[in-house]
Amino acid sequence: MRHPVPPAAVLQELRELTATELSLPSRLRYLCLLLAAATMTAIVTALLLTEAALPVRTSIALEALAVIGVSWVIFAAWVLTRKRVLLNSHRIVAGRLAVTFCSVFTIGAVALGFAMSSAAAFAAAAMGIAMLAVAIVLLVRARRRFASLSKRRAELERALDGRLS
Amino acid sequence: MPTIDNKNETDELLAIRCQLGEPAAFDDLISRWHGPLWAFVRRLAGTDDAAGEILQDVWIRVLRGIPRLREASKLRAWLFGIARRTLMDRLRDQYARAPAVEIDVEQIAVESSVDEVDDLVVLEEALDGLPLIEREAVSLFYLEELSLNEIAETLGVPVGTVKSRLHRARRLLRQAISKRG
Repeated sequence: MRHPVPPAAVLQELRELTATELSLPSRLRYLCLLLAAATMTAIVTALLLTEAALPVRTSIALEALAVIGVSWVIFAAWVLTRKRVLLNSHRIVAGRLAVTFCSVFTIGAVALGFAMSSAAAFAAAAMGIAMLAVAIVLLVRARRRFASLSKRRAELERALDGRLS
Repeated sequence: MPTIDNKNETDELLAIRCQLGEPAAFDDLISRWHGPLWAFVRRLAGTDDAAGEILQDVWIRVLRGIPRLREASKLRAWLFGIARRTLMDRLRDQYARAPAVEIDVEQIAVESSVDEVDDLVVLEEALDGLPLIEREAVSLFYLEELSLNEIAETLGVPVGTVKSRLHRARRLLRQAISKRG
Protein backbone atom coordinates (compact mmCIF):
# COMPACT_ATOMS: atom_id res chain seq x y z
CA MET A 1 0.00 0.00 0.00
CA ARG A 2 1.23 3.49 -0.88
CA HIS A 3 2.33 5.40 2.24
CA PRO A 4 1.86 9.19 1.96
CA VAL A 5 5.24 10.92 2.16
CA PRO A 6 5.58 14.51 3.50
CA PRO A 7 6.94 17.07 1.01
CA ALA A 8 10.51 18.16 1.81
CA ALA A 9 9.43 21.82 2.15
CA VAL A 10 7.09 20.92 5.01
CA LEU A 11 9.95 19.31 6.91
CA GLN A 12 12.16 22.37 6.40
CA GLU A 13 9.40 24.72 7.61
CA LEU A 14 8.98 22.48 10.60
CA ARG A 15 12.65 22.65 11.56
CA GLU A 16 12.49 26.46 11.39
CA LEU A 17 9.33 26.45 13.51
CA THR A 18 11.05 24.23 16.08
CA ALA A 19 14.07 26.53 16.28
CA THR A 20 11.77 29.50 16.96
CA GLU A 21 9.59 27.61 19.43
CA LEU A 22 12.57 26.41 21.45
CA SER A 23 14.71 29.55 21.46
CA LEU A 24 16.15 30.31 24.92
CA PRO A 25 16.47 34.13 24.49
CA SER A 26 12.71 34.53 23.93
CA ARG A 27 12.08 32.63 27.18
CA LEU A 28 14.60 34.71 29.07
CA ARG A 29 12.88 37.91 27.91
CA TYR A 30 9.62 36.74 29.50
CA LEU A 31 11.49 35.64 32.63
CA CYS A 32 13.02 39.13 32.92
CA LEU A 33 9.56 40.64 32.42
CA LEU A 34 8.19 38.44 35.20
CA LEU A 35 10.99 39.34 37.62
CA ALA A 36 10.80 43.06 36.84
CA ALA A 37 7.01 43.11 37.23
CA ALA A 38 7.21 41.15 40.50
CA THR A 39 9.84 43.56 41.85
CA MET A 40 7.82 46.62 40.88
CA THR A 41 4.72 45.13 42.48
CA ALA A 42 6.65 44.34 45.68
CA ILE A 43 8.02 47.89 45.96
CA VAL A 44 4.66 49.54 45.24
CA THR A 45 2.83 47.23 47.65
CA ALA A 46 5.46 47.92 50.36
CA LEU A 47 4.87 51.67 49.96
CA LEU A 48 1.09 51.21 50.12
CA LEU A 49 1.37 49.11 53.29
CA THR A 50 3.81 51.32 55.18
CA GLU A 51 3.04 54.90 54.11
CA ALA A 52 -0.10 55.67 56.08
CA ALA A 53 -0.42 59.36 55.24
CA LEU A 54 -0.43 59.17 51.46
CA PRO A 55 -2.84 61.50 49.62
CA VAL A 56 -5.86 59.68 48.15
CA ARG A 57 -4.78 60.31 44.56
CA THR A 58 -1.29 58.91 45.27
CA SER A 59 -2.81 55.83 46.90
CA ILE A 60 -5.06 55.25 43.88
CA ALA A 61 -2.10 55.67 41.53
CA LEU A 62 0.00 53.18 43.52
CA GLU A 63 -2.88 50.70 43.65
CA ALA A 64 -3.25 51.00 39.88
CA LEU A 65 0.49 50.37 39.48
CA ALA A 66 0.25 47.30 41.73
CA VAL A 67 -2.63 45.91 39.62
CA ILE A 68 -0.64 46.55 36.43
CA GLY A 69 2.38 44.80 37.97
CA VAL A 70 0.32 41.76 38.96
CA SER A 71 -1.19 41.64 35.46
CA TRP A 72 2.28 41.56 33.90
CA VAL A 73 3.35 38.82 36.32
CA ILE A 74 0.30 36.72 35.34
CA PHE A 75 0.87 37.35 31.63
CA ALA A 76 4.57 36.40 31.77
CA ALA A 77 3.80 33.30 33.86
CA TRP A 78 1.10 32.29 31.33
CA VAL A 79 3.51 32.67 28.41
CA LEU A 80 6.20 30.64 30.20
CA THR A 81 3.80 27.81 31.02
CA ARG A 82 1.73 27.71 27.81
CA LYS A 83 3.46 29.41 24.89
CA ARG A 84 7.21 29.46 25.46
CA VAL A 85 7.20 26.47 27.76
CA LEU A 86 10.28 25.86 29.88
CA LEU A 87 11.99 22.53 29.27
CA ASN A 88 14.01 21.10 32.15
CA SER A 89 17.31 22.75 31.18
CA HIS A 90 15.49 26.08 30.72
CA ARG A 91 13.88 25.69 34.15
CA ILE A 92 17.25 25.29 35.81
CA VAL A 93 18.63 28.40 34.06
CA ALA A 94 15.46 30.34 34.91
CA GLY A 95 15.55 29.13 38.53
CA ARG A 96 19.17 30.20 38.98
CA LEU A 97 18.47 33.61 37.48
CA ALA A 98 15.40 34.06 39.68
CA VAL A 99 17.28 33.06 42.85
CA THR A 100 20.13 35.46 42.03
CA PHE A 101 17.79 38.31 41.18
CA CYS A 102 15.60 37.84 44.27
CA SER A 103 18.67 37.55 46.53
CA VAL A 104 20.12 40.81 45.21
CA PHE A 105 16.74 42.53 45.57
CA THR A 106 16.24 41.27 49.14
CA ILE A 107 19.76 42.14 50.29
CA GLY A 108 19.41 45.60 48.71
CA ALA A 109 16.08 46.19 50.44
CA VAL A 110 17.45 45.05 53.83
CA ALA A 111 20.53 47.29 53.43
CA LEU A 112 18.34 50.24 52.47
CA GLY A 113 16.07 49.51 55.43
CA PHE A 114 18.97 49.66 57.90
CA ALA A 115 20.67 52.63 56.24
CA MET A 116 17.54 54.79 56.07
CA SER A 117 15.46 53.19 58.86
CA SER A 118 12.77 52.80 56.22
CA ALA A 119 9.73 50.67 57.05
CA ALA A 120 8.86 50.48 53.32
CA ALA A 121 12.30 48.99 52.57
CA PHE A 122 11.83 46.35 55.27
CA ALA A 123 8.36 45.51 53.91
CA ALA A 124 9.88 45.21 50.41
CA ALA A 125 12.58 42.95 51.89
CA ALA A 126 9.88 40.72 53.41
CA MET A 127 8.26 40.38 49.99
CA GLY A 128 11.71 39.78 48.50
CA ILE A 129 12.16 36.88 50.94
CA ALA A 130 8.81 35.42 49.83
CA MET A 131 9.86 35.74 46.16
CA LEU A 132 13.23 34.17 46.98
CA ALA A 133 11.49 31.24 48.69
CA VAL A 134 9.34 30.63 45.60
CA ALA A 135 12.42 30.85 43.33
CA ILE A 136 14.34 28.36 45.53
CA VAL A 137 11.40 25.89 45.52
CA LEU A 138 11.17 26.10 41.71
CA LEU A 139 14.93 25.61 41.32
CA VAL A 140 14.99 22.61 43.68
CA ARG A 141 12.03 21.03 41.84
CA ALA A 142 13.74 21.57 38.47
CA ARG A 143 16.97 19.97 39.76
CA ARG A 144 15.08 16.98 41.21
CA ARG A 145 13.25 16.50 37.93
CA PHE A 146 16.58 16.74 36.08
CA ALA A 147 18.07 14.06 38.35
CA SER A 148 15.09 11.72 37.90
CA LEU A 149 14.97 12.18 34.10
CA SER A 150 18.76 11.74 33.81
CA LYS A 151 18.61 8.54 35.87
CA ARG A 152 15.87 7.07 33.67
CA ARG A 153 17.75 8.17 30.57
CA ALA A 154 20.89 6.35 31.73
CA GLU A 155 18.86 3.18 32.48
CA LEU A 156 17.28 3.23 29.02
CA GLU A 157 20.61 3.87 27.29
CA ARG A 158 22.18 0.95 29.17
CA ALA A 159 19.24 -1.34 28.29
CA LEU A 160 19.33 -0.38 24.61
CA ASP A 161 23.14 -0.65 24.39
CA GLY A 162 22.98 -4.05 26.10
CA ARG A 163 20.55 -5.36 23.49
CA LEU A 164 22.55 -4.01 20.58
CA SER A 165 25.90 -5.47 21.73
CA MET B 1 14.64 -5.21 12.87
CA PRO B 2 13.74 -3.38 16.13
CA THR B 3 11.56 -5.31 18.59
CA ILE B 4 8.47 -3.81 20.25
CA ASP B 5 10.43 -3.40 23.52
CA ASN B 6 13.24 -1.63 21.69
CA LYS B 7 10.75 0.66 19.92
CA ASN B 8 9.00 1.60 23.17
CA GLU B 9 12.27 2.21 24.98
CA THR B 10 13.66 4.22 22.07
CA ASP B 11 10.53 6.39 22.14
CA GLU B 12 10.73 6.83 25.91
CA LEU B 13 14.39 7.80 25.63
CA LEU B 14 13.54 10.31 22.90
CA ALA B 15 10.75 11.87 25.00
CA ILE B 16 13.05 12.15 28.04
CA ARG B 17 15.82 13.78 25.99
CA CYS B 18 13.25 16.32 24.75
CA GLN B 19 11.97 16.97 28.28
CA LEU B 20 15.54 17.52 29.44
CA GLY B 21 15.83 20.21 26.75
CA GLU B 22 18.43 18.65 24.45
CA PRO B 23 18.09 20.52 21.11
CA ALA B 24 19.22 17.53 18.98
CA ALA B 25 16.44 15.41 20.51
CA PHE B 26 13.79 17.54 18.80
CA ASP B 27 15.45 16.96 15.42
CA ASP B 28 15.42 13.22 16.19
CA LEU B 29 11.77 13.41 17.28
CA ILE B 30 10.79 15.11 14.03
CA SER B 31 12.89 12.75 11.89
CA ARG B 32 11.32 9.72 13.56
CA TRP B 33 7.69 10.80 13.82
CA HIS B 34 6.96 13.39 11.14
CA GLY B 35 6.53 10.73 8.42
CA PRO B 36 4.04 8.53 10.32
CA LEU B 37 2.10 11.55 11.60
CA TRP B 38 1.99 13.01 8.10
CA ALA B 39 0.73 9.71 6.68
CA PHE B 40 -1.99 9.49 9.35
CA VAL B 41 -3.16 13.10 8.96
CA ARG B 42 -2.85 13.08 5.15
CA ARG B 43 -5.11 10.03 4.92
CA LEU B 44 -7.80 11.71 7.01
CA ALA B 45 -7.40 15.31 5.79
CA GLY B 46 -7.60 14.51 2.07
CA THR B 47 -5.07 16.98 0.61
CA ASP B 48 -1.37 17.80 1.03
CA ASP B 49 -2.14 21.45 1.83
CA ALA B 50 -4.64 20.62 4.56
CA ALA B 51 -2.32 18.00 6.01
CA GLY B 52 0.61 20.48 5.99
CA GLU B 53 -1.39 23.10 7.91
CA ILE B 54 -2.68 20.58 10.43
CA LEU B 55 0.79 19.11 10.95
CA GLN B 56 2.20 22.56 11.80
CA ASP B 57 -0.43 22.90 14.53
CA VAL B 58 0.26 19.36 15.69
CA TRP B 59 3.98 20.05 16.10
CA ILE B 60 3.37 23.35 17.91
CA ARG B 61 1.14 21.47 20.36
CA VAL B 62 3.76 18.75 20.72
CA LEU B 63 6.59 21.22 21.41
CA ARG B 64 4.48 23.11 23.94
CA GLY B 65 3.05 20.02 25.57
CA ILE B 66 6.04 17.72 25.88
CA PRO B 67 7.19 19.03 29.31
CA ARG B 68 3.77 17.93 30.66
CA LEU B 69 3.93 14.42 29.17
CA ARG B 70 3.90 12.31 32.36
CA GLU B 71 4.51 8.86 30.94
CA ALA B 72 7.29 9.21 28.40
CA SER B 73 6.83 5.55 27.43
CA LYS B 74 3.43 6.47 25.92
CA LEU B 75 4.94 8.91 23.43
CA ARG B 76 3.40 7.19 20.38
CA ALA B 77 -0.18 7.24 21.67
CA TRP B 78 0.32 10.81 22.90
CA LEU B 79 1.57 12.03 19.49
CA PHE B 80 -1.25 10.38 17.53
CA GLY B 81 -3.75 11.64 20.13
CA ILE B 82 -2.60 15.22 19.53
CA ALA B 83 -2.75 14.70 15.75
CA ARG B 84 -6.30 13.37 16.02
CA ARG B 85 -7.50 16.18 18.30
CA THR B 86 -5.95 18.82 16.03
CA LEU B 87 -7.61 17.26 13.00
CA MET B 88 -10.99 17.09 14.73
CA ASP B 89 -10.69 20.73 15.89
CA ARG B 90 -9.92 21.73 12.30
CA LEU B 91 -12.88 19.78 10.90
CA ARG B 92 -15.19 21.24 13.55
CA ASP B 93 -14.05 24.82 12.74
CA GLN B 94 -14.29 24.20 9.02
CA TYR B 95 -17.83 22.89 9.10
CA ALA B 96 -19.01 25.32 11.77
CA ARG B 97 -18.22 28.11 9.29
CA ALA B 98 -20.25 26.52 6.49
CA PRO B 99 -23.76 28.10 6.72
CA ALA B 100 -26.93 26.02 7.08
CA VAL B 101 -25.31 22.70 6.39
CA GLU B 102 -26.22 19.64 8.42
CA ILE B 103 -22.94 18.36 9.90
CA ASP B 104 -22.31 14.67 9.41
CA VAL B 105 -18.61 14.01 9.94
CA GLU B 106 -18.84 10.43 8.67
CA GLN B 107 -20.52 11.55 5.46
CA ILE B 108 -17.99 14.35 5.06
CA ALA B 109 -15.18 11.83 5.40
CA VAL B 110 -16.74 9.62 2.73
CA GLU B 111 -17.16 12.58 0.38
CA SER B 112 -13.61 13.81 0.98
CA SER B 113 -12.04 10.61 -0.28
CA VAL B 114 -9.25 11.11 -2.77
CA ASP B 115 -11.00 10.12 -5.98
CA GLU B 116 -9.03 12.37 -8.28
CA VAL B 117 -5.84 10.35 -8.08
CA ASP B 118 -5.82 7.86 -10.96
CA ASP B 119 -3.32 5.25 -9.92
CA LEU B 120 -4.76 4.25 -6.53
CA VAL B 121 -5.02 0.55 -5.88
CA VAL B 122 -8.46 -0.88 -5.02
CA LEU B 123 -7.68 -1.38 -1.34
CA GLU B 124 -6.53 2.19 -0.95
CA GLU B 125 -9.69 3.47 -2.63
CA ALA B 126 -11.74 1.34 -0.31
CA LEU B 127 -9.81 2.68 2.68
CA ASP B 128 -10.36 6.26 1.56
CA GLY B 129 -14.06 5.50 1.26
CA LEU B 130 -14.36 4.40 4.87
CA PRO B 131 -16.09 6.73 7.31
CA LEU B 132 -13.61 8.85 9.32
CA ILE B 133 -14.11 6.92 12.55
CA GLU B 134 -13.26 3.56 10.98
CA ARG B 135 -10.56 4.98 8.73
CA GLU B 136 -8.55 6.38 11.65
CA ALA B 137 -8.81 3.06 13.54
CA VAL B 138 -7.60 1.12 10.48
CA SER B 139 -4.79 3.62 9.79
CA LEU B 140 -3.52 3.44 13.35
CA PHE B 141 -3.77 -0.36 13.63
CA TYR B 142 -2.62 -1.63 10.23
CA LEU B 143 -0.55 1.21 8.83
CA GLU B 144 1.00 2.85 11.90
CA GLU B 145 1.11 -0.45 13.82
CA LEU B 146 -0.15 0.88 17.14
CA SER B 147 -1.41 -1.71 19.63
CA LEU B 148 -5.09 -1.88 20.58
CA ASN B 149 -4.28 -0.26 23.95
CA GLU B 150 -2.35 2.55 22.28
CA ILE B 151 -5.20 3.19 19.85
CA ALA B 152 -7.67 3.25 22.74
CA GLU B 153 -5.51 5.90 24.48
CA THR B 154 -5.11 7.87 21.26
CA LEU B 155 -8.82 7.92 20.51
CA GLY B 156 -9.93 8.20 24.14
CA VAL B 157 -12.27 5.17 23.89
CA PRO B 158 -12.29 1.70 25.51
CA VAL B 159 -10.37 -1.15 23.83
CA GLY B 160 -13.68 -2.90 23.08
CA THR B 161 -14.80 0.11 21.03
CA VAL B 162 -11.55 0.00 19.04
CA LYS B 163 -12.14 -3.69 18.31
CA SER B 164 -15.70 -3.06 17.14
CA ARG B 165 -14.55 -0.17 14.90
CA LEU B 166 -11.89 -2.41 13.36
CA HIS B 167 -14.44 -5.17 12.87
CA ARG B 168 -16.85 -2.76 11.15
CA ALA B 169 -14.00 -1.34 9.05
CA ARG B 170 -12.99 -4.82 7.86
CA ARG B 171 -16.61 -5.57 6.94
CA LEU B 172 -16.95 -2.29 5.00
CA LEU B 173 -13.63 -2.88 3.23
CA ARG B 174 -14.72 -6.40 2.21
CA GLN B 175 -18.01 -5.01 0.86
CA ALA B 176 -16.27 -2.21 -1.04
CA ILE B 177 -13.70 -4.54 -2.58
CA SER B 178 -16.28 -7.17 -3.57
CA LYS B 179 -18.45 -4.47 -5.24
CA ARG B 180 -15.50 -3.39 -7.38
CA GLY B 181 -14.17 -6.83 -8.07
